[in-house]
Amino acid sequence: MSSTAAAATIDHHHDPSTATGIPNKKLLMWAFLASDCMFFGCLISTHLIYRLHPPPGVPAARDVFSIELTSFSTFILLMSSLMMALAVNAIQKGNLKSLRACLATTILFGAIFLGCQVYEFSHFVSEKHLTITSNILGTTFYTLTGTHGLHVLIGVIWLASMLAYSFTGRLTEKDSIDVESMGLYWHFVDIVWIVIFTVVYLLEYL
Amino acid sequence: MADALAKPESPVGEAHAAPKALVLWRPEAKTGLISWLTTVDHKRIGFMYGVAALFFFLVGGVEALLIRLQLAVPNNNFLTAQQYNEMFTMHATTMIFLAVMPLSAAFFNFIMPLQIGARDVAFPRLNAFSFWVFLAGAVILNIGWFIHDGAPNGGWFGYTPLTTRGFSPSHSIDMWVMGLQLLGVASIAASLNFIVTILNMRAPGMTMMRLPVFTWMTLVTAFLVVLAFPAITIALIELMMDRLFGTNFFEVSNGGMPVLWTHLFWVFGHPEVYILILPAMGIISEILPTFARKPLFGYPIVVFSGACIGFLGFGVWSHHMFTTGMGTVATAAFSMTTMAIAVPTGVKIFNWIGTLWNGHLTMRTPMRFALGFIWLFMIGGFSGVMHAAAPADAQQHNSYFVVAHFHYVLIGGSLFALLAGIHYWFPLMFGRRVSEGWGKLSFWIIFVGFNVTFFPMHFLGLNGMPRRTFTYDPNMGWNTGNLIATVGAFILGVGVAVYFTVMIYTFFKGERTGSDPWDARTLEWSLPVPVPEYNYRVIPTVHARDAWWYEKRNKDEVARARAAHAPGEASHGIHMPFQSIYPLVSAVGILIGSIGVSVIDADPGPGLIGPKLAVTLAGLAVFLVGVYLWALEGNEGYHVHPEEDHP
Amino acid sequence: MTHAAAPSGHALEQSKFELFVEIAMLLAVITGIEIITVYLPFAKGLLVGALVAASVVKFLFVIFIFMHLRWDKAFCTVLFFIGLILAGGTMWALVQLFGAAASVPLSSP
Repeated sequence: MSSTAAAATIDHHHDPSTATGIPNKKLLMWAFLASDCMFFGCLISTHLIYRLHPPPGVPAARDVFSIELTSFSTFILLMSSLMMALAVNAIQKGNLKSLRACLATTILFGAIFLGCQVYEFSHFVSEKHLTITSNILGTTFYTLTGTHGLHVLIGVIWLASMLAYSFTGRLTEKDSIDVESMGLYWHFVDIVWIVIFTVVYLLEYL
Repeated sequence: MADALAKPESPVGEAHAAPKALVLWRPEAKTGLISWLTTVDHKRIGFMYGVAALFFFLVGGVEALLIRLQLAVPNNNFLTAQQYNEMFTMHATTMIFLAVMPLSAAFFNFIMPLQIGARDVAFPRLNAFSFWVFLAGAVILNIGWFIHDGAPNGGWFGYTPLTTRGFSPSHSIDMWVMGLQLLGVASIAASLNFIVTILNMRAPGMTMMRLPVFTWMTLVTAFLVVLAFPAITIALIELMMDRLFGTNFFEVSNGGMPVLWTHLFWVFGHPEVYILILPAMGIISEILPTFARKPLFGYPIVVFSGACIGFLGFGVWSHHMFTTGMGTVATAAFSMTTMAIAVPTGVKIFNWIGTLWNGHLTMRTPMRFALGFIWLFMIGGFSGVMHAAAPADAQQHNSYFVVAHFHYVLIGGSLFALLAGIHYWFPLMFGRRVSEGWGKLSFWIIFVGFNVTFFPMHFLGLNGMPRRTFTYDPNMGWNTGNLIATVGAFILGVGVAVYFTVMIYTFFKGERTGSDPWDARTLEWSLPVPVPEYNYRVIPTVHARDAWWYEKRNKDEVARARAAHAPGEASHGIHMPFQSIYPLVSAVGILIGSIGVSVIDADPGPGLIGPKLAVTLAGLAVFLVGVYLWALEGNEGYHVHPEEDHP
Repeated sequence: MTHAAAPSGHALEQSKFELFVEIAMLLAVITGIEIITVYLPFAKGLLVGALVAASVVKFLFVIFIFMHLRWDKAFCTVLFFIGLILAGGTMWALVQLFGAAASVPLSSP
């Protein structure tokens, strides 16, 4: 593990100091995401099972959901993924200014998504009288989307910390792997939402 | 493990002109308490895992003896039903999560990086974090003994609705849930680290098909942990939500289905079985070739069957649930996958026999335990295949036959291999060797005691004795079997006591050995004893599968290869990571938060900051402080320049 | 798919920005189509198939383009797909298990 990273250009897809050529942090993040697939897989299964076999008296989810709001937050999260990808691109070129702009936009979009979710939840509770304890739909819906929301919140905090860190002068092109692994996490949160959007929301409208 | 040869220099960071990282404290102690609390050395962390695991192994053993005392005679009143429930719950939970898994983790930590020719794991501080979180989980699980609520008493499987708030209102189940949750976090963090380490930190020439089998099994186990634990994480979150916030996941009156818990639990629980046995198979695959003085027979097949077991292990969980009524198709499917998974296991047994065949067997203590493993694991395997037949399982389900089966695979399998591993690697870890006479004596007492305890349980089970029953009627025909089992348990207890007494004696006063006392085959034996903090002065170049065996027989070639790149290494020294206190700080935060969640009574009303919320938030704050300071201090290190001590 | 085939090497670095934007737009369009799909008067099975297919396409675009899998070592893909396939298989098995006639709760309508 000698630090021979003094080459003129940095190869962001290959790390010669590791046996596989994949940087340690990237490998760690991909292994973690594989694990997180199982995590969300079990949570989504729980929701699906209870939606397929609901007890009597559970309201139809389509009467509760608001497709307009959810579509908007889906779009926002997709755009935040784009900005994250651009942020990684920026740091790999050593462009700190562009990195900060992209990160700030990603944070903003993530915060908007969270805001939509807070609004959605409070709307469901106050207008539709669906609470986490009222029935099995409330239980699985709030737990699943809430756990995803918690992932987004952690992502936003991570992004904000990285943005603040970029002002210390210690974040350079060499540290792009830190931004890249954060990006992997963020994109993963996005793809989980892609699944949730279809499975939890859209299928209810058929 | 202070090293006189190492001369720490001024710290060298990664960056040259960049501003300094935020470092509040760089602990530099090499001995004493602080050095242990801040260590990032995989060998020290492995040692701590080992000590903790052996301590909890003794705790779990005492619990087992109390269970056997209660069952020794019919209508016994030695324990109350409540105490008995606590005993069998905590015996199982302790043995699985606090004894066998961390003992395997001790070997993963200590041995695996040495076997691949690495100087440490990929993320040393994350490794320390895993250990401290494991310890926090162990504390949470065992707090119940000392407080009014009592220890967890819902079984290690925690089946709902028994564990829901309506049936178990005390905090003991909360502690079980939170304790397991933390152990999951610790195991996943450690396993991610091992995956990256094995894939990325291999020495030059150490291709995947040259990895020692123990390292291979570490990799497969790490994958199992990473992919199986999320299922129980979800199950535990759902149960916790039910208990804390009154949700309906397992609340039957509101449409919850308790069988969902059972499924999620076994989606985790069955791979967990392989998490316990695969490291043991790895250890056996190291010991047999060493003492048979032959290479492992059919190395690629052993590796492939290990990976195959790992993969198939995710497709058999419902065989724990044949009696829940899953329907014919599902029952038949899981029956077949369960029979299928016996095939790669059998393949391994034949490979071990092939290794022994025509070998020059040296019957040292580790070898005895290893041979004991093969026999006992085979018996456990046979009764396992019997369970795969769903109609037969309907009869055996929840009877002592099952208890006999899994003790044969867990003690006769996992534990015998781990005890063998302790004997085998003791000279490498501590430079001393257990005396053969005492080692063999402890083996025979344990072997006899084990069989006397658990073999009668097959008959008890077939005669209808159910599991988890705290006493029984004298005219059921179970009296003799139970008495024999209890006598056997105490013989086993004596054997374990002899084993550990001898081990502790050897640690302080045993016969000193040099390096490589067994004339072994894998790379870790090339190291001087005690192993220096940096492991390898020069990173080895690997030329063959049994790297050290090859090296010993081809000294010239290896010397040439080493001379070729040693000067480069010597000029800039060996990079060592700084010690850090923050993994411990983060884990302490998690411990405080978990106490808040699981031990303290609910606050009077929503919106009020009562003691529960306050303690939980305080834990979160400590955790965040730890994580941020951890991130900000950076992964820098210093260089050491060990002097030439051997060519 | 009509987006330009990704070039390799240095040209790639130049065009990555445009590629990312194109992909993001494509994802937005697919999402729009998905939302319209649920209101179409076709057979339910067909619509479910279409929605699942659309999600899979979006999923793959994000992991292979945004998450760089396409340009990284193949092992990253293998690693992630181990988790993905096991999770998918487990989900499928769980849903099937609860759907079996013997398992459906008696209270279920």
